[in-house]
Amino acid sequence: MSEKNQKTVSRIKEVESTNLAPDNIRNEVIETKKAVEKDNDLLAERIHQNFKEHNVKSFDIVGAIGAGKTALLETISQRLTTKYRVLVICGDITTRVDADRIEKHNAETIQINTGRECALNAYHIHQIIKNKDLNKYDIVFIENVGNLICPSDFILGTDQRIIIVSITEGEWVVEKHPMLFKMSDIAVINKIDLKERLGTNVDKMISDAKKINPNIKVITTSAKTGENVEKLMSLMGF
Amino acid sequence: MKEELSKIEELSKEYENIDISDIKMLMQKFFTKLRNRLENYVGDYPTFIEPVYLEDNVKIGDDVLIGPNVYIGANSEIQDYVEISNTIIFENVKVGQNFKLENCIVAKNSSFNFNNLNMKNSVLFGVAESKDELKTKDF
Ligand SMILES: Nc1nc2c(ncn2[C@@H]2O[C@H](COP(=O)(O)OP(=O)(O)OP(=O)(O)O)[C@@H](O)[C@H]2O)c(=O)[nH]1
Ligand SMILES: [Mg+2]
Repeated sequence: MSEKNQKTVSRIKEVESTNLAPDNIRNEVIETKKAVEKDNDLLAERIHQNFKEHNVKSFDIVGAIGAGKTALLETISQRLTTKYRVLVICGDITTRVDADRIEKHNAETIQINTGRECALNAYHIHQIIKNKDLNKYDIVFIENVGNLICPSDFILGTDQRIIIVSITEGEWVVEKHPMLFKMSDIAVINKIDLKERLGTNVDKMISDAKKINPNIKVITTSAKTGENVEKLMSLMGF
Repeated sequence: MKEELSKIEELSKEYENIDISDIKMLMQKFFTKLRNRLENYVGDYPTFIEPVYLEDNVKIGDDVLIGPNVYIGANSEIQDYVEISNTIIFENVKVGQNFKLENCIVAKNSSFNFNNLNMKNSVLFGVAESKDELKTKDF
C-alpha cells in the first residue's frame, strides 16, 4: 500500500460516520469499515472458541456510565472467588480506579485504557488472552467502557452479554438505547434501592426491554443492599 | 524488574555480539515482573493495555496502542498510529509513524526516521532514514 493510501486508511478509522467522508474516498471508507467489522467478528469468534476450549465462562458487561457495573462486579466477585478463579478485564478511558476496586474482592484484574475509544473491541481482548494461560481461570468478566452506544459495534466473543442500566438514568433510558438491549442476554436494572426516593417507573423499563428483545432476561438489583444479586448470578449460570 | 532490564540492555548494546538465547529468557522473566507506570508521559490519552511501564517524558502520538507488556525508556518518542506489544524500548528512541512492534527490543538512542514497519521477534538498532538502513537481529 502506498504511503498516501496508508494515510487515507488511518484517517478512515477516525471517521465515525460515513456521512463525514469526502466524496472522493467514500467507497474506500465504506469498504474499510466493512473490513474492520468483519475482522472484529472473526477475532471475537476465535476468542470465544479459546474460552470454550479452556472451560472458561465469559461475560461482557456493558452499560451506562455509573450504572453500577463495577459495584455489581465487586459483589459478584466477592461471592464467586471463594469457589472459582476469576479474571476481570476493565475497560475505561483512563485510570485504574475500577480494577483497583475489583481487585479488593480477590479477583485478578487487567485494566485497559482505551484513551479516546468509547468501547472495547475484540483486538484488545485478543491481545490480553494471547499472553495469558487460560487454564488458570474459570470465569472471565469484561467490564466494557461505560457507554450505551459504542459497544454495540464490537462483540467481544463472550458466552453472554449483560447490559446494566440504573433507575437514576430515568425510565426512558431503555427505549432510547435499543441496540444494546437487542444484542444482550440479560438486562439488569440496578439501584432498585432508590426506587421510592426517585419514583422511577421501573415496570416501564422492564417492559421496554422485553419489547425490544423478547428473549432478554430482565432483573432488578441493588449492588448496595445486595437485593437480587444471587438471582442475577443464577441467571448467569452460577 | 530493573535487574533484568539492565541485563537485557547490556546484552543488546553491541550489534555484533548479542546473545539471543539469553535475551528471550530474560524478556519472559522481565514481563512477569513488569508493573504499571503511566504518569509523566506527554500525549493525548493513547490506548494502554496493562502492564505498561513508561519512564519520564515519553512522547506518544495519536491513535497509538501500547501494551500489554511494554517498557519504554525516558525521553523516547512514539509517533502516530503505532502499535507496540511485548516489547522493550530503551531510552531516547524515536519510532516513526505506523510501526507495529511485537516482541521486540529497541536499543538505546535508536532513531527510525521513516514510517510503516511491521516487526516481530527482533532486536532493532541504530539510526535509520529508511527501512533499508535498519539494523535488526531476529530471535
Ligand atoms: N444506591 C445505589 N448506589 C449504587 C448502586 N450500584 C452502584 N451504586 C453507586 O453508583 C456509583 C457508580 O457505580 P459504579 O459501580 O462505579 O458504576 P459503573 O457502571 O462501573 O461506572 P463506569 O465504570 O464509570 O461507567 C457509585 O458511587 C456506586 O456506589 C446501587 O445499587 N444502589
Ligand atoms: Mg465501572
